[in-house]
Amino acid sequence: MEAKQYIGEGWKHAILIIGAIVVMLPFYMMVSMSLKSQQEIQSISGGLIGAQETQTFPVCVKTGYSEETCTMKPYQYNYWFAFEKAPIPRYLMNGVIVTLSIFIIQVLVALPCAYALAKLRFYGREFVFSMVLFCLLIPVHGIALPLYVMLAQAGLVDTYSALILPWTISVFGIFLMRQFFMTVPDELIDAARMDGMGEYAIVWKVMLPTAIPALLAFAIFSVVAHWNDYFWPRMVITGNRDLFTPPLGIREFRGGIDSDEFGPMMASIVTVTVPLIVAFIIAQKRFIEGITLTGMK
Amino acid sequence: MHNSKAHIWFIAPAIILMIIILIFPLFLAGGISFTDYNLGNKTFEWVGLENYDKMFNRKTYVKMIWATATYVIVVVPISVVLGLCAAMLLNSLRFGADIYKTIFFLPVMATLLAMAIAWEFTLHPTLGIVNSFLANGCGGVREFILGFHWLPWVDSQESWYAIACANNMDFPYWLKQKNTAIWTVCFIGIWQAFGFNMVLYLAGLTSIPRELYQAAEMDGAKSTWEQFKLVTWPMLGPTTLFVVTITTIRTFQVFDTIEILTKGGPSKTTYVMMYAIFEKAIQQNLTSIGAAITVVFIGFILVLTFFQRYVIEKRVHY
Repeated sequence: MEAKQYIGEGWKHAILIIGAIVVMLPFYMMVSMSLKSQQEIQSISGGLIGAQETQTFPVCVKTGYSEETCTMKPYQYNYWFAFEKAPIPRYLMNGVIVTLSIFIIQVLVALPCAYALAKLRFYGREFVFSMVLFCLLIPVHGIALPLYVMLAQAGLVDTYSALILPWTISVFGIFLMRQFFMTVPDELIDAARMDGMGEYAIVWKVMLPTAIPALLAFAIFSVVAHWNDYFWPRMVITGNRDLFTPPLGIREFRGGIDSDEFGPMMASIVTVTVPLIVAFIIAQKRFIEGITLTGMK
Repeated sequence: MHNSKAHIWFIAPAIILMIIILIFPLFLAGGISFTDYNLGNKTFEWVGLENYDKMFNRKTYVKMIWATATYVIVVVPISVVLGLCAAMLLNSLRFGADIYKTIFFLPVMATLLAMAIAWEFTLHPTLGIVNSFLANGCGGVREFILGFHWLPWVDSQESWYAIACANNMDFPYWLKQKNTAIWTVCFIGIWQAFGFNMVLYLAGLTSIPRELYQAAEMDGAKSTWEQFKLVTWPMLGPTTLFVVTITTIRTFQVFDTIEILTKGGPSKTTYVMMYAIFEKAIQQNLTSIGAAITVVFIGFILVLTFFQRYVIEKRVHY
């Protein structure tokens, strides 16, 4: 039976490899285009990285740089010119500012609430919890329009606040943390109270440290979702480049597909996409855990 | 219990934000959908059901419902089945499962907008590797397989592949052609979603006790297919229900690929609801009709989720 099993295993790998090739196609295309010269891209030649011949790039000269500056290898040119054309560091920084602000506020709001729902007894607790359960059903993207109207009335369109405010409440975060806190033994909290700790101190000094693993998964869930989010920034940021998040930057690079040079465009897209992918490959397990969090009820 | 009032301070911020950010907008959308309000107007009139009437009778919105329904009905089942197949294949491998898992999960992680652009180039008629791959395969094995010449009822001169080869390599402009655009967008949707489902199914598979398979074997279920029918599929019931619901909700919200690749075209074949809300309400400033679409959209999602909760309570518990 040994031989038969090997053949079976071989077939499985064959199918999976074909699948993997299809899945990797756009990644290959993206990286390859960011390394090759315009001629190589247009003639679909040069394989993954192209010939990398040093040459002078006409678009660069036309933009006003000296010929000397514009002479280099295609991969150098693509990445260098991408950074010259658009404030990529600014976009990345905006991404960091927005995702981190969202995450920190979400935790500041959700953690105490989850603690109260799990460990404090008070009038109306069940009602508050059912409110959380109801709000879990509402997709924030779905109510984007009324939120937009409210922000517009408040004069907040085209500000950081518009990017952050709608996401400050994560009912999912409350729900997740509450479930987690339910498993923390009451004795731990009672002991803290005996030591004279107030309720605030308990939340931040006792509960927070126990919740680190759950919090980490939630952090990945939240950061990935908002780093990649395109719909909401597209709604509330109309033209102010200083507020562009990475996906808005990507959209700007794309410009006219037939007019522009493709190399630098793809280089910028790679630059913006790479941080998350590298983080994912390094901490794969945690990422999969965090992103499928909604699936682990 | 202590008599402290701390809980008020703990829950107040969350309650206030829930009301302002999540609950009030539901009513606001409902309210606006019965008016002719446009952002920037000082006044508005109540118009009753006029916006809804437009939605179900004007051609554009009928096409919108069609595009959304097509997208959801194609993407959800295929990405769920692919996710399940991939999970079962990986689960039965002796080595290498982790590598495939990483690769299949990459699209879930990567910025969808960036990947949409990468696909746009991959599928581009003159720059893309897909069409050049097809053109180089004319008259060969690729034509035989992808042109479906191996099916007895396909005439090898008349298949789509053969015709394209004969007409000077006239392969589709996938994203710009009326008859291919929606399917191409669906394909990208499946490409992006199935890895997520695969991971959920992998978790579901590990929770099936080994003994069940041994018991099934003793009952005479020897083949893989019989064991799948008898053990795997029923045991994965709750996972499947969950996977289907979450994929449906995510699929309904498709926006990025449409906005960057097709803008709802050609001739509104890819005009999905989220894009319609964006185009009508933000770009054309028709707030009230956007609100009506929002209400229908939320309605769909709420019905789906209630359905899931109901079925979970009633049926899929073993």
